[in-house]
Amino acid sequence: MHYSDSHEWVKITNSTATVGVSQYAQKELGDIVHIELPKVGVQIKRGQEMAVLESTKAAADVYAPVSGEIAEINTQLQDHPELINESPEDKGWLIRINLGDPTEMESLMDETTYEGFVNK
Amino acid sequence: MKTFFYDEHLRLGAKIVDFAGWQMPITYESAVKEHLWVRENAGLFDISHMAKIWVEGEKSEAFLNYLATNHVDKLVDGKAQYTVLCDEEGMAVDDVIIYRVTCEKYFVVVNASNRKKDFNHFIKYGKPFDVKITADFEGQAIIALQGPQSEKILSKYMVGLDALGFMGFKELSYQGDSIIVARTGYTGEKGYELYGEEKALLDLWKNILDQDNDVVKPIGLAARDSLRLEMGFALYGHELSDQISPVESLAAWVVKSKEVDFLGKAALGKLKKLENKRSQRAVIFDENAIARPPVDVLINGEKRGVVTSGGFSPTLKRSIAIVMVNGILNESDKVSVLIRNREVTAKVVKLPFIKQL
Repeated sequence: MHYSDSHEWVKITNSTATVGVSQYAQKELGDIVHIELPKVGVQIKRGQEMAVLESTKAAADVYAPVSGEIAEINTQLQDHPELINESPEDKGWLIRINLGDPTEMESLMDETTYEGFVNK
Repeated sequence: MKTFFYDEHLRLGAKIVDFAGWQMPITYESAVKEHLWVRENAGLFDISHMAKIWVEGEKSEAFLNYLATNHVDKLVDGKAQYTVLCDEEGMAVDDVIIYRVTCEKYFVVVNASNRKKDFNHFIKYGKPFDVKITADFEGQAIIALQGPQSEKILSKYMVGLDALGFMGFKELSYQGDSIIVARTGYTGEKGYELYGEEKALLDLWKNILDQDNDVVKPIGLAARDSLRLEMGFALYGHELSDQISPVESLAAWVVKSKEVDFLGKAALGKLKKLENKRSQRAVIFDENAIARPPVDVLINGEKRGVVTSGGFSPTLKRSIAIVMVNGILNESDKVSVLIRNREVTAKVVKLPFIKQL
């Protein structure tokens, strides 16, 4: 799993990137009560706002850690936004992207680097 | 500033935020879980950032009846009353609870953000009544135990709770220390607010969390706010302010037509008769995007007001808000707000929100 400096994670299976927010981000945001996700088929660029997570405290933008086409969204989140708090790096995944440019992965952090980044 | 409970909040793993200059726990675990815990069990709140002002003397009743919009003259010994205090323009100085010990001795519990302003307000208008006004800000703590299990739990620690009716209060003993226990609160659940020495109340707090942690959890300010919002209780700075009169607010019911003169009476009388007077209503949104103030409110497509408080209702699992609009809002009106440039529609409902289940 790889991480961006804005606390999204990416996991690659073949040429599909599954994207979510990190355990750290989930804790910082607090209880997630509402989620806005992009539509399937939309082209998205790295760094672009792709989703909104609304917690009891505030609304936070989620940025695309990689570019590509939105292949799938996690429809379970509509009725169960708490999945992001309970399982941010597994059941609480947000979207799947058909990876446009695999070299973009090189700019992301590996787990150890990310751990150091959030514990700074 | 920190309350006497600050280290205890850290020990309990609280996330701390600044609230009106106070370092207070916003959540210990999860705002939603804490909220539901209070509705189903019981929760402990540190509200020591709020303060008491004592009023003593022969004309205490007349003085407080002059400051308050509600009927302080109808209070009896050992009973408390919610009221708004207005300035001469009829705008809200604060919303407070007045506790009558005797007709010559009262204490008033004021909001954290207003403690100095209120004290000065009392001093300013107190002179003709020759009353003694004392700020009780040092060494004192206030905690609340709220929820359906609160009586059962608190009875383990002190004797005499059963005699307390709603809005009643009494001095009770806890391990030799005198504590004022009131059947008041800000959650809509059965509950108590306790006033006393810091050390005694911290000791009681620790005992409860130690011995009754299967029923009682500490609750942060986030859940305190969502609990009051679900009930439709006004929050100073949101539904009431020096720009919002109580007659325009959810607290309009505490503005009484009193025979005697009181601060703001003439202005309130005029405001009440205004044709397009502002009013506040409760709305539930058709989706769960949260309307955080100050979001504009559209009625039938036209901008007519603002959101004063908005949040997620853990009980309803819906996005709810209090809105303030020019004129009256009817249940048939089409209400919407713009959230992130998208129109989100809402329905006007009756308070409290939790009765909408």
